[in-house]
Amino acid sequence: MLAVRGGELDALGELFERHHGPLFGFLVKLTGQHAAAEDLTQTVFQRMLKYRHTYRDDGSFTAWMYHLARRCAADHFRRTQSAPAATDPSDLQAFVDEAPHAAVRAAQRDDHALLHSALQQLDRADREVLLLSRFQELSFAEISGILECSAGAAKVRAHRALQQLRTVYFRLQKKPIA
Amino acid sequence: MNCHRVRDSLPTLLDRRTAAAVPAEVQAHVAGCADCQREWEELRVTLTHLDDLPVTAPSSRLRRNFHAMLAAEKRREAATAVAPVPAATRRGRSHWLLPLAGGALLALGFLLGQRAGLPARASDDRGTQQELAALRQQMGRQQDQLAKMTTLVTYSLLQQQQHPANERLQQLLADARQEQPSERTLDTVIGALTLDPNVNIRLRAIEALYPHAERELVRAGVRAALPREQHPLVQLELIEFVTLTQDRGAVPLLERMSANDRADPAVRDAALLALARF
Repeated sequence: MLAVRGGELDALGELFERHHGPLFGFLVKLTGQHAAAEDLTQTVFQRMLKYRHTYRDDGSFTAWMYHLARRCAADHFRRTQSAPAATDPSDLQAFVDEAPHAAVRAAQRDDHALLHSALQQLDRADREVLLLSRFQELSFAEISGILECSAGAAKVRAHRALQQLRTVYFRLQKKPIA
Repeated sequence: MNCHRVRDSLPTLLDRRTAAAVPAEVQAHVAGCADCQREWEELRVTLTHLDDLPVTAPSSRLRRNFHAMLAAEKRREAATAVAPVPAATRRGRSHWLLPLAGGALLALGFLLGQRAGLPARASDDRGTQQELAALRQQMGRQQDQLAKMTTLVTYSLLQQQQHPANERLQQLLADARQEQPSERTLDTVIGALTLDPNVNIRLRAIEALYPHAERELVRAGVRAALPREQHPLVQLELIEFVTLTQDRGAVPLLERMSANDRADPAVRDAALLALARF
């Protein structure tokens, strides 16, 4: 990122290749929408270019990237809060059963679908901290920088979010199928 | 150690980064308490399933759009470095155009006066009358142009003389800090976006409008600024605004910008990219 800040814009291509996958994974779990997560990933890299002069060498690049991602996601949620959510055709792929006769796989898919659903039922702040702490290999010190709180507070929030997820997940599992 | 405290510690125990900090009594309690064991198991299953969630890959569209964006940014960088369009140039042009237009109008008035003052002769019949009518029309048009130019220059001069740029910026920042600004405040910010001669202030105005992008007044203001704006940096920011806010009303404007040969290539690219994202 220091090279990008220095004017070597091509270096951003390398950063994109290295980080866009995990970043997209974070955003798709956070928003629950495939197409929106793609747009947001693109926007994060756009903002990296736009705000490259503000990048400081004193923190990790990943933490800075998730800091931007969180802000982009906040903008997205603010915009979509009042607008009705349209079904994205690309999201429907998530429900296509690639192995319809494999009972085990079907059960796993059910678990995944329930967990996705449970994640979406959490408060956005809980979902954010849980995803950051579980998937992005960030330390609590880095997460605290992203969330602008103390490391201790980040840890407590992540653990509370996990308990919350467990409650919702098991409640959904016990719910009879309509 | 009671169950309530133990259950609070369970996520800490399940997290390999923090497990070492949990006292041994917690584990001992879990081993001997059925309720806490069940809670432990549910948390463990939740975490295992969370970790097992399949990794979703983005479509090829993301990579394609990223490289298009990067290419556009590189062109924009090159364009800005080679041919910057400082706001001062635009202001300067307005300043010297004003006396020039005034002079032209004076000359035209003199000519018209001379013609009108001549004694009427039989030979100065229909031809002269037509010539006079044409001159009057031309004079009317020039007066209109001069009036418009005077309004703009007056606004610009008043802004500069009464409120220096840093003062205007401070006012804008104060306006932007309001969580629920009134329509009048938003009008001021939109006014700065459309009329302020300073590029930095226009850029800051766009930023200040983001939190209120849901309001139709703001969207209409940005749409009105889009065709007026001449500076590529501000044009790019405006395009980003209408794209991020998914303002479909801006699509015809973006189409015109993308087809405008006189526009900066980076602006044309950005308009095309924005249209693709709609």
